[in-house]
Amino acid sequence: MLLALLLTYAGFTALCLSMPRHHAELLGAKPSTRRRQGLALAGWLLLALSLWAAVAASGWSFGLVDWFAVLMLSALALVLLLPYRPRLVMALAGLSLLASPVAAWAQC
Amino acid sequence: MKGKLATLPMSYRLAVTSRVLAAIFGGYLVAALASVTLTLWLPLNRAEAVVTGMTVSFLVYLAAVLWCFACRSAWSAWVGLLVPSVILATVSGAARGLGLA
Amino acid sequence: MKEGFRQAMAWLHTWAGLVFGWLLFAIFFTGTLAYFKDEISHWMQPEIAAHSLDSEASLALAQDYLQQHAAGASRWLIDLPDARDPGLTVRWQQAPGKPGERGRFESRTLDAQTGVEVQGRESMGGEFFYRFHFQLQMPYPWGRWLATIAAMVMFVALISGIITHKKIFKDFFTFRPRKGQRSWLDGHNAVGVLVLPFHLMITYSSLVIFMSMVMPASIVASYGSDVRKFYDEVFPASKTPERADVAAPLTAMAPLLAKASEQWAGGHTARLSVSNPGDASATVVLSRAGDRVVHDFGRAVTFNGVTGQLLSSTPDQPMAMAVGGAFYGLHMGHFAGPLLRWLYFICGLAGTAMIGTGLVIWLGKRQLKHVKSAALPFELRLVEVLNIASMAGLVSAVAVFFLANRLLPVSLAGRADWEVNAFFIVWGLSVVHAVLRPGRKAWIEQLTLGAALFIAVPLINALTTPWNLGATLMQRDWALAGFDLTCLATGLFLGWAARKMQRTGERVSVRKAGSSPRSITVEQGAN
Repeated sequence: MLLALLLTYAGFTALCLSMPRHHAELLGAKPSTRRRQGLALAGWLLLALSLWAAVAASGWSFGLVDWFAVLMLSALALVLLLPYRPRLVMALAGLSLLASPVAAWAQC
Repeated sequence: MKGKLATLPMSYRLAVTSRVLAAIFGGYLVAALASVTLTLWLPLNRAEAVVTGMTVSFLVYLAAVLWCFACRSAWSAWVGLLVPSVILATVSGAARGLGLA
Repeated sequence: MKEGFRQAMAWLHTWAGLVFGWLLFAIFFTGTLAYFKDEISHWMQPEIAAHSLDSEASLALAQDYLQQHAAGASRWLIDLPDARDPGLTVRWQQAPGKPGERGRFESRTLDAQTGVEVQGRESMGGEFFYRFHFQLQMPYPWGRWLATIAAMVMFVALISGIITHKKIFKDFFTFRPRKGQRSWLDGHNAVGVLVLPFHLMITYSSLVIFMSMVMPASIVASYGSDVRKFYDEVFPASKTPERADVAAPLTAMAPLLAKASEQWAGGHTARLSVSNPGDASATVVLSRAGDRVVHDFGRAVTFNGVTGQLLSSTPDQPMAMAVGGAFYGLHMGHFAGPLLRWLYFICGLAGTAMIGTGLVIWLGKRQLKHVKSAALPFELRLVEVLNIASMAGLVSAVAVFFLANRLLPVSLAGRADWEVNAFFIVWGLSVVHAVLRPGRKAWIEQLTLGAALFIAVPLINALTTPWNLGATLMQRDWALAGFDLTCLATGLFLGWAARKMQRTGERVSVRKAGSSPRSITVEQGAN
């Protein structure tokens, strides 16, 4: 479940950043169109990857349940942290991306 | 809005009550009829058809309830439920008649 | 017309949410607690020791016990211990129940290692929350009818809420604290939208679970008066065979566990149901432990009770039943390991918070119009009292349920009932308190009381039993330690909430002294 969690959190952060208002909150300026599209694409890709990670780890029935669970948990964590600790939000996203390969290796 | 409760016209209150009754009872009727129609027409064995019909029925109930409050008037709420009810009753009756039940 | 539709849905969401919100809050809160009902039961009956599991040995002990005490019964039920529930429970039924109804059972808990009756203090434990959330302490079948009606209203409220939330995607990540009513709405939307898959699943599944009761038209249309046949086809294992009235000894059941496990490709047995023990027509039905997401009601393995021969080969689950089983399995979450179980719990709390914030917003919006006047109109005052009692009052009642478990004498007759009574008495008193005190003060006082009561739980536990937090941490009894820690965390949370409300109130009175009305509207919290 760990890999899926890391990927969903990173994915949601990317999707959040792809929104001008939140991008400005977190990184100080509004994003260019190229960057917006890039972040949105990255976000969706990470979410899709997380689904694959969950199903690969536990099969379809447990995997789907685990995936929805980490999806909801990471979204909640992100949204509740965002107004209070925006830099922590970014740091955690970075950490998630860095830790993902390790988690992937541990899972396989 | 609550503070203005005393000033709401009676016609409004009757209309709301009518819609609520339509949603609760009329909605249930449509959902039950949809459930029966589905059960009698689905090409599955009896138990599976019954389970499927019941499982789906709540979506129909939901649609009926939303209709009762989204439609233009309290009258259309009732009409909008009665018409499908009649159709569904006919269709499930036809299943019986055709020996599908 | 689109605006009219959204407005209509907003109206529906607001009123459906209000009228059923108090009941739904209670259902969601107790249902959420029920995800840890085994752990709660373990804390409330700490005398029942957990042993390493040996299903065959425990089953043999259970069979001996039932042979001694319930030889003439029409049905025996044996619940084997598992990782979360250390008890070996035996039940028996003297006379079979009517079709579709549960019969009356005698129940005993045995020590899983010695087979001796365990004298755990009499308590409903976590079962109380589990049963309450769908029976509402009302006589059968009214409670479950009301709970299912509430579920349908919840479904309507969820969908109408989604339709109403115009900026559901734009505001997906939006949460703006410290902005009064705006923050409450952001919070309501956050716990609603971000946890939506869970809310939709839990709500629709609760309808499906009781669909035979509330939507029986299909059963009647298809089976006519032979309704029994429907239940036999969907739940084949529950068929009670006719008595032969020929005495025949029951086979030893322990070896059946391995045979069943083979049928399930390695799955374990959770429960055995013996029909007509001691008769030639005896059957033993083994039900699988909830280790899969899709619950299979038909997958039980049946053996001839006299010869031990496998009777029914389990058929593949048809798609329709699998869908129903999936709803059941997902709702119950039996398959969830410790981590996933905590996630279920968090999602349940989110749902509870969604309902609670909704109730607070409903009143908050309308209260703004009465800031200047001394008293609220009757309808708003009623909502205020019900909000306080159904939320803060309920939470205190739960804490009192736990405290009563530790404080009531172990030998008190009917103490299980008295624990439940204490719960309802305190809940009732919270209504009285909310009526007598002004709104904001009532909130602060009840939240403070709740905080004190919850913090008291691990303290009273330490004072009245040897299973205090220090000891349970050392023994690595995570259920007991986790319980104490969660009560502590809950108490701290309630205390924080109480202080926050008090501070917001103080800011309002300071500002009222000399600034413009606008700042009051912005600063004023919920109540």
